[in-house]
Amino acid sequence: MIEIQNLTKVYKGTRGLFPTSFKVEKGELIAIVGHNGAGKSTLLKILSNTHLPDSGSVLIDGIDLSERLKMVRKIGFVSETPNLYDFFSVEYNFKLFAKLFDIKKERIDEIIKEFNLENYRHTKVQNLSKGLKQRVNIGRSILSDPPVILFDEPTSGLDFEMTKEVFKLLREFHASGKTILFTTHRPEEIKNLATRLMVLHKGKVVFDGKPSAYFESHLHNELYLQ
Amino acid sequence: MIKNILTLIQNDLAIAVKNKTIFLIFFIPLFVFFTLKIVDSKNETAHAMNLGLINNEAYSPVVIQSLKSSDKIFNVIYVETIEEGKNEIRQKTLDGLLLNTNELIILKKESLKTISMIEGLYSLQQTAENKKSWVSSVTALQSTDIQKDSLPTWILMMVLLVGFVIMPSQVAEEKEKKLLVSLLQTPMREIEWLMSKIFTGMILATASILILHLIGNFHTGINLNYILIILSGSFCFSSYGVLLGFLCRNQASARILGVIFYLPHLLPSALSDFSRKLDVVAPLLPSFHFYESIKHILFDQARIGSLGVATVYMLSVGVITFAASYFLMKKRWLM
Repeated sequence: MIEIQNLTKVYKGTRGLFPTSFKVEKGELIAIVGHNGAGKSTLLKILSNTHLPDSGSVLIDGIDLSERLKMVRKIGFVSETPNLYDFFSVEYNFKLFAKLFDIKKERIDEIIKEFNLENYRHTKVQNLSKGLKQRVNIGRSILSDPPVILFDEPTSGLDFEMTKEVFKLLREFHASGKTILFTTHRPEEIKNLATRLMVLHKGKVVFDGKPSAYFESHLHNELYLQ
Repeated sequence: MIKNILTLIQNDLAIAVKNKTIFLIFFIPLFVFFTLKIVDSKNETAHAMNLGLINNEAYSPVVIQSLKSSDKIFNVIYVETIEEGKNEIRQKTLDGLLLNTNELIILKKESLKTISMIEGLYSLQQTAENKKSWVSSVTALQSTDIQKDSLPTWILMMVLLVGFVIMPSQVAEEKEKKLLVSLLQTPMREIEWLMSKIFTGMILATASILILHLIGNFHTGINLNYILIILSGSFCFSSYGVLLGFLCRNQASARILGVIFYLPHLLPSALSDFSRKLDVVAPLLPSFHFYESIKHILFDQARIGSLGVATVYMLSVGVITFAASYFLMKKRWLM
């Protein structure tokens, strides 16, 4: 479903993503872990068309990444920091993106209900808590019902309750057949969540397999415990 | 307490350096310094004024001889007809036109050039010991109305304010808050976003001019030529402003870059009436063409067809800056 070939992005010679290739099958829930600067966010930003790769190719259902207008309907991207029009209401934010995607109003109502945002429909985003903002951010990213959802550090800065809520959402999306890739720098958190785990270290994939295999390996000790 | 205040001042200065506000501290004095170098100083040798005479008309030989021998005060230029002379005055290639009926035609009565010209003719007349006055009447092609005369400057200020202050800041804000990045995850085309920004700039500039007319009580008619030139100018500067916004990572940088572009575009255009040197430099700026076109339309009832060069220049700047912004957006520049 997703085919990544020799994807490369280098920042000032040392950091970034060095030639990386892998495939993702439909319905996988992949956790991409690594330290800060390992290339996790770079990978997701390239997949979401936020950053352009230096070289390499990405195909999703046979569509090349460069075909942005087609690709945006395949991928939903949830950024680490909610990038919302915070001086406007929750509903305005949804409406704007619904118009650009040519989505019917009923879908907005559906999302607002699904994410328990009914009471905040007319509240300015700037007046919401961090957790609620993240809910709006996720809701907006899946407005067009994309088959692939990318989450960049979705639990960063969230408390325990909110983190649990986000993981519950990931499970629900996965159960509904979505393909999910998400990044985290805390692998212990996703032990029982991901179906596949990829470890990025200094821009290269150093592990790709079952989470249990990773935790049994020496790699986790080397990267996180020593 | 003093220690804390000093620490906070140090922090504020560090922020000023970091967000490049400090550049303005250097830029504005430097700009004033260079502008004063360009503006004619009082000690500078006065430029000879271009005085037109009608070919084949009978002028007093004393007048002709005196004018020709005073090449430091007047350059004598012959034109075929009065109409041609008037056009040359409007285009500023002539400073005045002397008829054999002793009528002096100038652009505006209350201008430095007119005063210098009459002084020059009077001193020549005195030197020639000619008792008959060389200038019996003065006709101005443009009437002087301080309120109306200031209108092109206000319009220029507002269009440049939208172009160089509001637009860069708005674009940089969308980049800084990653709103543009989120919009790029929708089926919106890059060109659509750019066009919406430019139309927003044009709407803001046009609305501000409309409000100015409504509350300023300027006695000028609004016609199609006027509207078209305002649309051309607002397109040019909105597009220019979007490009400036694209060159910045955040709002603070965009505001500073905006001011750095705003002043040099505003002052030389508005001051070119008073300085021959600036008159030479100013035509390089699109703001000069906008300002002059507005003046020609308001005061000379010029049509947009006769302002072809100015219009094409402004539209070209708009198109080039639009193309540059599109290129930067495609490259995800500083996003």
